[in-house]
Amino acid sequence: MIAELFQSISPGTLLATAVTTSAAGLWLLLPRGLGGGAERAARSLGGVLSLVALGCFIATGHRLGSVGEEAVFLIVSLLAVVSAAATIVARSPVYAAIWFAMTLAGVAGVLLVLGGQFLGVATIVVYAGAILVMFLFVLMLAQPAGLAPYDRVSNEPLLSAVAGAVLLGVLSLSIGRLSAPPAACCAMPASKAALLADAPSTDAAEPGVDLLADNHVARLGGELFGRHLLAVEVAGVLLLVALIGSIAIVSRGATADIEPAAARRAVP
Amino acid sequence: MQSLLPSLPTIIALVKIGALIGGLMTAAAYLVLVERWMAAWVQDRKGPNRVGIPLTKIRLFGLGQPLADGLKIILKEDFTPKHVDKVLYAAAPLVILAASLAIFAAIPFGSSLPPIPALGLESEEPLLVAPGLDVGVLWVFALSSIAVYGVLLGGWASNNKYGFLGGLRSSAQLVAYEIPLGLGLLGVVLAAGSLKLDAIMDAQASSGIWYAFAQPLGFVVFMIASFAEAARLPFDLPEAEQELVGGYHTEYSGIKLLLFLVSEFLHMVTAAFLIVIMFLGGWHLWGLTGSGPVETWLVAVIRFGVLSAKILGVILFFMLVRWSWPRFRFDQLMNLAWKVMLPLGLANLVTVATVEEFRPQMVTAFGEGTAAAVAIAAPWAVFVLGWIAAGMLTPTGTDNSPIRTHGPLDAEHSLGSRPHDLVEA
Repeated sequence: MIAELFQSISPGTLLATAVTTSAAGLWLLLPRGLGGGAERAARSLGGVLSLVALGCFIATGHRLGSVGEEAVFLIVSLLAVVSAAATIVARSPVYAAIWFAMTLAGVAGVLLVLGGQFLGVATIVVYAGAILVMFLFVLMLAQPAGLAPYDRVSNEPLLSAVAGAVLLGVLSLSIGRLSAPPAACCAMPASKAALLADAPSTDAAEPGVDLLADNHVARLGGELFGRHLLAVEVAGVLLLVALIGSIAIVSRGATADIEPAAARRAVP
Repeated sequence: MQSLLPSLPTIIALVKIGALIGGLMTAAAYLVLVERWMAAWVQDRKGPNRVGIPLTKIRLFGLGQPLADGLKIILKEDFTPKHVDKVLYAAAPLVILAASLAIFAAIPFGSSLPPIPALGLESEEPLLVAPGLDVGVLWVFALSSIAVYGVLLGGWASNNKYGFLGGLRSSAQLVAYEIPLGLGLLGVVLAAGSLKLDAIMDAQASSGIWYAFAQPLGFVVFMIASFAEAARLPFDLPEAEQELVGGYHTEYSGIKLLLFLVSEFLHMVTAAFLIVIMFLGGWHLWGLTGSGPVETWLVAVIRFGVLSAKILGVILFFMLVRWSWPRFRFDQLMNLAWKVMLPLGLANLVTVATVEEFRPQMVTAFGEGTAAAVAIAAPWAVFVLGWIAAGMLTPTGTDNSPIRTHGPLDAEHSLGSRPHDLVEA
């Protein structure tokens, strides 16, 4: 019944509803420091609106192949989206960081479901495993005595909610248009097709062979160090420069730190 | 219309998961008993030898001890202190246990089973939960880096200074030692040409040269780093009892504490699996297991037995080390990671990469045998040089007081006991 209801609405209307409700929902959800019942009422209304928006976005999307695949995809993508919303909505920075880790887990799950094994695992290694642990480290050290008031509220809630919703709408429109003709799936077949079309025919890359499943890492490596060699090298040089720069900063900081101390000691 | 019954691959995967988790949990329980026996042996005691079959007088060398311990800790009161952050306090043990179990999706626990036509299995069935995962090593690496969340959150949510210090120490230690661990892994991955752990074992079996012999420096670096990642004794700063009352799990009791302790043991088991699979040949033993595909059940069982025996050996080594070494101080720990392990790991990686790059040319120019000899000799030369360099650059004194230098990374700065502050005061 709900499916029929959704089918009677045109996709354009559905998308417009999704965008407006998500903007309103996020605006209400963002912490504003009203305190007490007003804040609670606003946040519950915002939660309901955001759920409606989420439903509309799901309804505008296309269906994946098998039931199981679709179920897993829905679970991991909902995990990613809901925790992303919770990241910006959470009042405690530590909770925001944890929600961000959940987002990363969801994104990694989406990538794994769609066949991007390396990217999925690399997301966890780089973001969840290294960068976010550093964040947590700093957050936990930085606020032992509770939160400052300016940490509890969000700056410019209206502007940021509207900007985010507009971005969502534009992205869904363009991705929907990309994958519209075959009407098989949302984003991935388009990029898969692009990969298939652009891939240099090194080994048996017949059309229809799943490039992302067989010999995944070997193919990815071949692609990176073949077609994109220059980009990889530039990124490597950038990282090396950053490394040298950090060493330079550290050693200068040490002399700056020690000399005044020595001077102070010499005065009395 | 799709059938709602699970397909054969799903059933096989579920059976493997069940067998693996059951085996791991039992092994973790009995390894605790082995560890206590080992401790007793080192300290010249008898160790647990009383508990046998309940309600009888049969003792069975104390083999009932894990069951009794488990029952006792499960039945204890699951107490949550008032001052903790409830959500994260409850989530932390779950995160760490889930991560340390999920690692085993990519770790093979044997070679493979021969084809079983009666069940519809026409080809060999690998003893690995996720055989299609092409990034096995990275999967292991990713999930072992997720495990730090459990420790960090447990320490923070406890709202206790000892727990918090334990969590901080642990996160710094785990992040620092992930780098030498990764460098050790990369050498093996380069030499084997695959990120799949079963392919790495196959490569060692077909050449007959285990990577511990081909890359001694990588082996040592990886071994030490995995001790640190598992937080075993020379590196057990996160829960140093004498300083931190147990570290990040100070405030935990009952079943939640059990989850932490089990996942700690699983980390050690994972480390043993990785050391055996990547450096000690996995299921391969010269003249016993062969190196081709598995045709008979005998071969499958022998390979499983060899792998298990090697893993048990490495675990016993872990336990023996626990009673042989004192704990590092925190600055010594960091110096070891960044100033010793990192350069040594890089040296090994560069050597292996160079050798593998020029291997095809060497094979065409000098033949297969010479190329293999060079591929072994070069890492050994680097190993000896690295060992000598590390030995010559290490301070000769064993004075345990803070080192009096003024570098930014030195003990006084990081530990906050600056000498000039004292002078001013």
